[in-house]
Amino acid sequence: MAPNKSTEEPVAAPASSQEDETMEEDVALQEADAANPAIYNLGDSRIQLLPGGDEFNTSFEFQKEDHTLGNALRYIIMKNPEVDFCGYSIPHPSEALMNIRIQTFPPYTAQEALNKGFEDLIALCDVVADTFTTERNAFAANQESQMQT
Amino acid sequence: MDFDDDMILDQGPAVTITEAGDNFVNFALQKVDLSFANSLRRVIMAEIPIMAIDLVEIEVNSSVLPDEFLCHRLGLIPLVSKNCTEDVEYTRECDCDQYCSRCSVTLSLHAKCTSNEIMKVYAADLLVDHDRANPWVGTPVITDAEGKGTVICKLRNGQELRMKCIAKKGIGKEHAKWAPVAAVGFEYDPHNKLKHTDLWFEKSIAEEWPASKHAEWEEPAQEGERFDPDAEPDKYYFEVEGVGNLAPDQIIHEGIKVLQTKLATILNALGETKEDAGERFLPDDDVDMGGRNDFDNGYTTPGYNGPSYGNHGRATPYGATPYGQSGY
Ligand SMILES: [Zn+2]
Repeated sequence: MAPNKSTEEPVAAPASSQEDETMEEDVALQEADAANPAIYNLGDSRIQLLPGGDEFNTSFEFQKEDHTLGNALRYIIMKNPEVDFCGYSIPHPSEALMNIRIQTFPPYTAQEALNKGFEDLIALCDVVADTFTTERNAFAANQESQMQT
Repeated sequence: MDFDDDMILDQGPAVTITEAGDNFVNFALQKVDLSFANSLRRVIMAEIPIMAIDLVEIEVNSSVLPDEFLCHRLGLIPLVSKNCTEDVEYTRECDCDQYCSRCSVTLSLHAKCTSNEIMKVYAADLLVDHDRANPWVGTPVITDAEGKGTVICKLRNGQELRMKCIAKKGIGKEHAKWAPVAAVGFEYDPHNKLKHTDLWFEKSIAEEWPASKHAEWEEPAQEGERFDPDAEPDKYYFEVEGVGNLAPDQIIHEGIKVLQTKLATILNALGETKEDAGERFLPDDDVDMGGRNDFDNGYTTPGYNGPSYGNHGRATPYGATPYGQSGY
């Protein structure tokens, strides 16, 4: 790999590493702004906010995601009573992009709804995994007792 | 065994296993939404990491099969992949230059036919290098009575194969050889009461469309029953058929884990911009470290025989349905 000048510098001057980090973030923001002033980066560079929204009416663009995430997330976000509308789409089948639109009842923000959607889906996964394990163990025990009799 | 709805007392998700064997598990998943059931199916087919031969260095191939034909066949040989999610690195994420024992398993193949009888080269003839991430990963899956595995190639007198195969970790989305399942059967609403599908017929649907094996688990529509436009599917019949890389229950658990990791990684990244939302999901000792955290720790489900469940005390908030009404 080609040596990258900007990553070498903080090593030479460790005291300024905090500053450099914020500077790198600024650069990322500027680059995104240059490409499209209305799109700015969220924490994960795979997620962007699409233009034409506000805090309570937001479209998020997910890179490298598809129906696996989109449909389940849409469903669980719609279950949230603070959410007015949630929908997802895959704008084009040959682009790995998934858009999700969230509209909430203020003061609850779309970002809060998105975060809660993730938390809820993770918790749902936990329950399904536990339920499956319980059932699987019961099934195995049942089979074993049938074999013995 | 009968599906008995009265047995399900709480409103949370329910699982009923109908059949299970060394290579398959059939179960019904209830009280979840179609979108979630479908996510589980998709993730099982396309996103569970397993091992498969990905790189072949051919020294000698004087068989009738061209090199790429052989490589394709080698790639499709199922390799034992238990715990490879944790134990094996992705080559692209590994520190090594090309590949190493942390991100790959080396299998070598050397066969030469020296008699007038046609010689078959089997998966069992692959020699696994013991320098690997754990003591079983990358071993060819062999289930036949003779212990030979699948046929790779046939050799005539004087023909020879000599090659080094590098198995790597990957997912089915990239290539079907990394799919842990041969198929995932997925069915709901066997009587088509929801009209999600339009059954073509000449005279009678009932006569021309044989009932599915799951039809007996659900009540058919009564004569003259009105179509309910608000009805939602509620029961999904899964038939997960593995190929031997992972045990069937491991496939289900890995699938759920992959889905959770996907969710947790994004949630964690979102939390970096909006502290109040994401922070409570970070493990305590990682909070001050800044940057991206490895989120695996927070969300892995307990081990298969973990002591935390088995009774009805649910650990997650989902036992008590958060949004009133019936469960998910
Ligand atoms: Zn490596």
